[in-house]
Amino acid sequence: MFPMLDVMDEDAGADAALLSALADWCDRYTPLVALDGCNGLFLDITGCAHLFGGEERLLEDILNRLSHLGFDVRGAISSSPGLSSAISRFSRSRVIADQTVRAGLIIREALAPLPVRALRLDEAIVAALAKLGLKRVGDLFGLDRAPLARRFGAVLLLRLDQALGNLQEAISPRRPVALLSAERKLAEPVEAEEDILGLAERLAVTLEQALEARGLGGRLFELVLFRVDGRVFRISAGASQPLRDPRRVARLFAERLTAVHDDLDAGFGFELLRLNILSHDVFRMPQGDLEGKGQGEISLADFIDRVSARLGENCLLVADMRQSHVPEHAEAFSPAALSREGPFQGHGARSDKAVARPEPQGRFTPATDRPLRILRHPEAIDSMLATVPDGPPQQFRWRHVVHAVICAEGPERIAPEWWLADETERERDYYKLESTGGHRFWVFREGRYGSADAPTWHMHGVFA
Amino acid sequence: MAGNAKAQETIFSLREEIARLEGKPLATAAALQQAEAAARVHLAMSKPAPLPIDPDDRPDRLGFGVTRLDQALGGGLPIDGITEMRTARMADAGAASGFAAALAAHLKEASGDDAPVLWIGDAVARNDMGAAYAPGLAQFGLGSGDVLHGLPRRLEDALWLVETALSSGALAATILEIRGNRAQFGLTESRRLSLRAKAARRPLLLLRHGGQEEASSAEFRFLVEPAPASKRRLADGAMLKGSIGHPVFHLSLEKSRNPAPLSLLLEWNIHDRQFSEVDPRNAVAFPGIGRAPAHPGARLPASCDRQDRAAALGHVVAFERAS
Repeated sequence: MFPMLDVMDEDAGADAALLSALADWCDRYTPLVALDGCNGLFLDITGCAHLFGGEERLLEDILNRLSHLGFDVRGAISSSPGLSSAISRFSRSRVIADQTVRAGLIIREALAPLPVRALRLDEAIVAALAKLGLKRVGDLFGLDRAPLARRFGAVLLLRLDQALGNLQEAISPRRPVALLSAERKLAEPVEAEEDILGLAERLAVTLEQALEARGLGGRLFELVLFRVDGRVFRISAGASQPLRDPRRVARLFAERLTAVHDDLDAGFGFELLRLNILSHDVFRMPQGDLEGKGQGEISLADFIDRVSARLGENCLLVADMRQSHVPEHAEAFSPAALSREGPFQGHGARSDKAVARPEPQGRFTPATDRPLRILRHPEAIDSMLATVPDGPPQQFRWRHVVHAVICAEGPERIAPEWWLADETERERDYYKLESTGGHRFWVFREGRYGSADAPTWHMHGVFA
Repeated sequence: MAGNAKAQETIFSLREEIARLEGKPLATAAALQQAEAAARVHLAMSKPAPLPIDPDDRPDRLGFGVTRLDQALGGGLPIDGITEMRTARMADAGAASGFAAALAAHLKEASGDDAPVLWIGDAVARNDMGAAYAPGLAQFGLGSGDVLHGLPRRLEDALWLVETALSSGALAATILEIRGNRAQFGLTESRRLSLRAKAARRPLLLLRHGGQEEASSAEFRFLVEPAPASKRRLADGAMLKGSIGHPVFHLSLEKSRNPAPLSLLLEWNIHDRQFSEVDPRNAVAFPGIGRAPAHPGARLPASCDRQDRAAALGHVVAFERAS
């Protein structure tokens, strides 16, 4: 009957992705954007409307832009999410003002002609209400609350109160609100990386003053790029120490842009740039002395930040020595960007990340020699001519090569940590061996002679 | 007589000028000899002697404290350039890493500030011969807070990391581990890094595992081979038999401005953090060497039924690109 009709299967996942992309796009109006079911968005525009010339202008702007993007949209502004949801879906009016004395009356008037379905109720309740002839919201106004609650459950009254504004309803924003953010709208979209970085630096200058006023420095920055066609890119860059200097912030993003170069498709350009500070810390002014020592500390932090921004945090690590005799547990690596505690960092107020990190357990250096390079997994070796019960091997084969031993030190017995590990682990006897080639090895025997399982020999590292 | 002295002085100043242009720290002995000769002449002419060049006045060199080595290097390790350490086989990685760590500890101690050392590892080398181990490094004099471990995935990233590290000037030393002779790290790249190092006056130690000699911008290149460790010293100065003490490296200076070949055994005293030369006559002799072969059984010569290969004519004056 309708040959031009195109039938497609529903793809809920794609719909959800589209809606969340739209929610990202709506970030330009307010940082508080929440999803409303599978086909709506809540925007908390408290304190934002005046930036766009009032509520009506704001709504008009949103609807215009979205319909230019090819969407069939409706919207409403009111004092509660429930009322907005009902009005936008079932009414023609757009802005329900609540500034006047008669606010309550206006809301009732707006709600009364709408079908009960507008109250975001289940189908079952709507059908049950319809059976009793309660088709409009206005029909519910005059009824006693107790019988309604008994018959249809508390949901009906809850939704009604939420729509009327008698009950506060909180929306759950998709993203945390940034501590500070600065944005720039552009008349002409930008595409080039240098332009983006130049703008980011200017935004950072704006933020610098705000940070100075609060005595803070940013630890995690986010650059949000709004593309002309509605796509939004978010690029975040972390700093190892609280940071304010706009040039250093811009340099961080320069490294990030190089790293994400292929994923960032500028298309027809970006029309809106925003710089957010997602995480912050107390900023202590570094004071350089005459020898310029403070400067060295800054350049080190800058180096760590740039490397972490470009190659990832896990590319630059620092080792922590742990209090464990088991060689592979004696060191633990953590990203340098997170674990470096600069001398400028405040002790009073730290970011959550720093608090969550376990306190260093003190420097622990084993008394005996440790190899310079350690194998990640000990490799099995064939030991030949080892003195029973606790002698070192005279010869051993490792990776198909036979090494003749001329010197040996040991054994150093390292028992498993029974209070942590399971009891099947066996104790190890470590030997330092020197071969005829001048190589020095660290091998161990696992288990003892005479026990049920035959002992095995392993290579664990090489000495200098 | 006066004309002769004048000529001597001119020649000396010209030599000095040439040495300065070539970036040489003046072949010390020659310069001093010249200065002395000039001084003698001056003395004969009863004129005040010119001040000899102070050999300590070289902030861009860090001495090993080993006379023979320092002389061959023209004062010591360059602070503002690349020093390459090469091993013939991957299996010698332990010795080369030890020498690099010792140098880094020495450099860090000399730099006198809190700047850490950056150790850029190679993924395959880490799997093959193990990763740098923090407690082991701590014994070498590099505490866990003094070392940043760089683990780039690709060689290009590693080179960028080195360049950033050198130009930031925030690191006491940078160690770059590299495996074999890679095409991505040729003369151009090494020249670039050398210039960065010169500008920031920070050293780069290039640790090449299982590589060949290659033209590069490194000021010096050592071939590092393992050597038997010295024995542990007892309190009365005697050596503890059968013990394994301080590491000893067998170094051959392959590339330097000094044409004389140099090969020596260098010991790194872990406790005192200083180098010392081991006299090969006093060095621990391997029982296997000289007396009985390590692997019993007749060993055939390389060519058993014909003449040995003809030796290549001439001297090697420049190496071709190995990568």
